[in-house]
Amino acid sequence: MVMDDMALRLTATSRSFGAVRAVDGLDLAVERGSVVAVLGPNGAGKTTAIAMMLGLLPPDSGTVTLFGGTPAEAVRAGRVGAMLQDGAFVPGATVRDVIELARALYPHPMDTGAILTAAGLTGLAGRRLDRLSAGEAQRARFAFALAGDPELLVLDEPAAAMDVAARQAFWTAVRSYAAHGRTVLFSTHQLHEADDHADRIVVLAAGRVVADGTSAQIRAKAGVPDGASLDAAFLALTSSSASGTGQ
Amino acid sequence: MRAYLGFELRRLARDPRLLFFSVIGPVATYVIFSGWSAGDRLEGLAAPVAVMIGVAGYGAVAGVLMVGSAVSQERAAGWLRQLRVTPLPAWRVVTVKAFVGSLTAIPPAIAVGAVAAIQHQVALPAGRWLILLALLWAGTAPFALLGLAIGYGLSPRLAVPVNLLVFLVMSVLGGLLAPADYFPPGLRALAHALPTYRYAELGWRSAAGHLPTGAGLAVLTAWTVVAALLAAWAYRRSTARP
Repeated sequence: MVMDDMALRLTATSRSFGAVRAVDGLDLAVERGSVVAVLGPNGAGKTTAIAMMLGLLPPDSGTVTLFGGTPAEAVRAGRVGAMLQDGAFVPGATVRDVIELARALYPHPMDTGAILTAAGLTGLAGRRLDRLSAGEAQRARFAFALAGDPELLVLDEPAAAMDVAARQAFWTAVRSYAAHGRTVLFSTHQLHEADDHADRIVVLAAGRVVADGTSAQIRAKAGVPDGASLDAAFLALTSSSASGTGQ
Repeated sequence: MRAYLGFELRRLARDPRLLFFSVIGPVATYVIFSGWSAGDRLEGLAAPVAVMIGVAGYGAVAGVLMVGSAVSQERAAGWLRQLRVTPLPAWRVVTVKAFVGSLTAIPPAIAVGAVAAIQHQVALPAGRWLILLALLWAGTAPFALLGLAIGYGLSPRLAVPVNLLVFLVMSVLGGLLAPADYFPPGLRALAHALPTYRYAELGWRSAAGHLPTGAGLAVLTAWTVVAALLAAWAYRRSTARP
């Protein structure tokens, strides 16, 4: 079998819901060891694309591979950890319970202490999940995704509910995780997060890639000056595409 | 699979509401209902024994259905999707859920048995108590599967009332509360086609020292197969959505 140097590869992938083409011929390859941000307005297809990457949703056409195999194979082998947008926990379990569950499910888990530290949950291990604040619950979901020390982390709007301090600690943990040669793909609405933490930014609109590169390349493509906020570039890119595709 | 089973058992132990419904409810029901018919003979047994088994079954079915249909909330919250992106295979999740659900049959059976022994001096040989408990546990299979079908098939908004409706209709018409011996003939025939009646019948016959009836096993098996098919269909349908 040929080794694929890509952690993730979507080729001409499409998925519709009824008459809506959520993802429309998406091509995306993510190299191992990179940190990639996926940006796009609501309805751009980010969450659908992520569901297909994780094998939760089969594409209507096109292919999705993780490490050269199917998403299901990579998930079964414990090579993937994911934080889903609505992946809430169940009541009755504690932070420690879910972390220990994740550790038992993956072949080479991290130490419990290291997971708690990375997710900023050290004092909360005995807390019940239904008694966490929204930001704490999001950190617990990060801990669950990280616990198995997977090769690829997929994070769908991971820091949306976190406060400033938690957010900083979170991104530090993501960077140190990626520094060990592992791959991170995250979606966000916070453009400065993409700017600050990603090696590469992929902008989606209407289910397609409209820009792909470093933040400087994204600005250049949008025709905004280098010092301008990424917001300006984002709006320029996504509004022209939306009007270009019609409806 | 052991880790996930342990996780689910810890959660179950931390949920006192389940204990309340599955133990306090049947115990109170037994204390009230068993007095009315204390001198009768029902299902070939002294009434306090027959009512004990019916009411224990009522508590067991309540608990088992509730655990199964609680899957609806876990699904809506996104937890089951979260598990699907771990190496844990989905069929193991379903298996553990059904097994853990069936375990909730045990506390009400023990509690009602203890009350029956105290209130009406119901006495059985030790071996017969154990066989009775094992039957009341194993006989919950169709209800565990039916609960999963509700949990995977319906949104939480619908799963709760449908679960309650199924539970009330099945337990009342199945003769778990008021004995089917007191029913008019048409309703009695209906009771005999329900899994609740046949489930309690396993216990009644065992307490009287008889083997299960062929008709009883056939009805239970048929309901188990139908519930398994429904649960499998609902499960597949629930995972086809994003």
